[in-house]
Amino acid sequence: MTQTASQHGIRVAGDTNVGKVRETNEDSMIVDPVRGLYVVLDGMGGANAGDVASQTARDAIREYVMQYRTTTDPRTLIEAAIQHASATVFNAAQQARERHGMGTTVVGCIVVDEKRAVVAHVGDSRAYLLRNGRVQMLTRDHTIVEELVDKGLLSAEEAERHPYKNVLSRNLGAKPETRVDVTDVELRPGDRLMLCSDGLYGYASAEAIQYLLGSGDAPEHVARDLIDLALRGGGGDNVTTIVIEAPQPPPSSTEVVRTTGAMQWWQRRSRFLQIAKDRGLTKNPIVRGLDPEEALELIASSLCQAVFHDLEKSTGVNVWTFAQNIAGGWFERSGEWAPLRALMDILATAARAVVDDIGVADPKLGFLLSIAVSRALVVGELAIGGLLAERLNRVDANLIKVHAAMQETVDTAQETALEDTGDRFIDNPTVPFLRPDRPVTSPGVSAELIKAIEQTITIARSRTSQRAELVKQILSSLETIAIDATGNFASAVLAAREIYGVRPVDDTGIMPLFDALDQARIITAASVHQITAPDAMRAKVLRALSSAHQRLVGATTGLVLEAVAPYSERLREVQAKTSEMRDQVAKFERKRADLERKYATTIDHSQPWEKRGTTEW
Amino acid sequence: MSTEPPLARAYDNLRPIILQRLLDMRATLDPSFGRIDEATARAQISAVLEHLGNFLASGDLGSHRAFLQTFLAMRAAEAQGAAAVLAMLVAIGDTAAQVAQDELAGSIDGSELTLLLTRVTATTARAINDLVAEELARRTGQWNELAARERGKP
Repeated sequence: MTQTASQHGIRVAGDTNVGKVRETNEDSMIVDPVRGLYVVLDGMGGANAGDVASQTARDAIREYVMQYRTTTDPRTLIEAAIQHASATVFNAAQQARERHGMGTTVVGCIVVDEKRAVVAHVGDSRAYLLRNGRVQMLTRDHTIVEELVDKGLLSAEEAERHPYKNVLSRNLGAKPETRVDVTDVELRPGDRLMLCSDGLYGYASAEAIQYLLGSGDAPEHVARDLIDLALRGGGGDNVTTIVIEAPQPPPSSTEVVRTTGAMQWWQRRSRFLQIAKDRGLTKNPIVRGLDPEEALELIASSLCQAVFHDLEKSTGVNVWTFAQNIAGGWFERSGEWAPLRALMDILATAARAVVDDIGVADPKLGFLLSIAVSRALVVGELAIGGLLAERLNRVDANLIKVHAAMQETVDTAQETALEDTGDRFIDNPTVPFLRPDRPVTSPGVSAELIKAIEQTITIARSRTSQRAELVKQILSSLETIAIDATGNFASAVLAAREIYGVRPVDDTGIMPLFDALDQARIITAASVHQITAPDAMRAKVLRALSSAHQRLVGATTGLVLEAVAPYSERLREVQAKTSEMRDQVAKFERKRADLERKYATTIDHSQPWEKRGTTEW
Repeated sequence: MSTEPPLARAYDNLRPIILQRLLDMRATLDPSFGRIDEATARAQISAVLEHLGNFLASGDLGSHRAFLQTFLAMRAAEAQGAAAVLAMLVAIGDTAAQVAQDELAGSIDGSELTLLLTRVTATTARAINDLVAEELARRTGQWNELAARERGKP
């Protein structure tokens, strides 16, 4: 028996079943949307007393609510109604011997409006709330075991295995009065409340109940499916359930586009193809050689389908793939830009015409689709833009290569001219402050020191990798500089020029050189400790080699600075020029913005936007 | 003839909010915006938003193209490629439309402005691709010429 109802957008359905084992259904229910009253009762007691108890309580609750609902607040009303029912059942039990001990559980709910409900219960009939796909239990069973758990005398695990886990601590009818638990529930759009007897949750898993409640099916289907679920689980008890659904929230713009919008778009597919055909799609060079119908299918139909899927899924991936395939294929065939632009324009025009059609019938949907389809077309442009930029980079790289080849020819010609003079690079001193005769403090070099330096460098060489030619060269230079009795910079400058050679002034040329210098410093410092000499001599060697290293690094740095000097100068010039140009651009930008503003105030704004400008739209 | 169309006025009122939202997400617009200080980023994004306002009022595609051409060149000088510029301008347009939708929800102006800004973004994307395609054709021609000259050498 299914009861369905709807009021104030709240949809309700209730269902009950005797189950597969019992002969009588001792459950009862109230589904009363007029009063917003929904109740599930599960009667108990021998000799058919259970059904009498639940029906007596049901009638008592209904009558009480009908009588007092306008004068009592919902929370007090349901509590008092249940108390009244308890007294009624108790009195009925007292009147006939065979009904002694009869009683009933109850879970009831008064839905005040679409935003508020009050739930009350006694016993182990339950109320659940489904919100955002999650189910929570609103009631706590009134069983002896559950109360022991509440008092901390039993653990949850122990309670689960307890032999008296189903023995109720409260029901209606055992005494004239009972304690009623009442809970206020704030309803949100789309929430579902479910009331049920233990015949449901005792024979169906919590996961399955959650799945069915959250399925999105109509309440009557959910109520029926929940009953079926309990029956499939054995149906060992009577089973009753009521599903109450708060009004669904209005669909968001995205949902409208994904559902109605996508459908409306797809329904106008033939109109889209027709406009594309009328606009000359089949004559576009990109589809040259194809049968017109084939061309329409390949291009227009594909885009129409891509837009449909993107609308449906709120993505842009299909239009992106479409545009990339079309543009990529055309570029691979060395196609010109103009046909591709014309093709995209035809498709955009057809798309806008279809959206305009939809807008005539449903302006709101037309507006939403207009934005969604425009965005889809932008995604197409982004995909094409990526390909164009890639090609631009490739052409730039080729241009650089051609320029470099041309520059190489010029350099070779200049080098040949230099060789003709017979001069070498190192014969042209270019660092004015590094004059060979510049005096420096001479530390004086004794024969013992020279021997110790040579010994150190020999050890350092043996510690250097075979392939580290540059480091070895630096070690030799350090030795020469360190034992130079004159103590001036000449040997350092000459050594630096030999090491520097002809290196490109960039990271690949300069950094390995300074790395090698640093490595040589570390190796020599370590090697000093391995020579056989007194500590004082080791200290002298270390000082001499450090000094040599400093001079070599100084001279090398001088050469690097000299080499980059023209570039630095040029860089400064370019930076100054760039800054000047930036200022100019900013000035013109401001000027243009002023002019645009001025122009904007003189145009006819009664014209549609796309027809206002001087440039043809 | 009106001196200030209502949609342009509505856009102008929203500009500070759009600007702030763009500044908050500037590093996602383009990494180069994330590296520069807020004042500079504010000036650069403001220039784009101001131009968008003028384009909304005038609908003049010619001046819009001219602006985009300069903008592409300026961003290229900051080592930003054409695809990145396109993505950035689309993101700016989308954000502006989103702000219009959020801030003027339910009003006719809000709907019209959102739609107009979406169309402006589509127009911008189209124009950028046209400009890049023209530049590509120009450079391809240049390369062909230089390559031919190189091949012609003895």
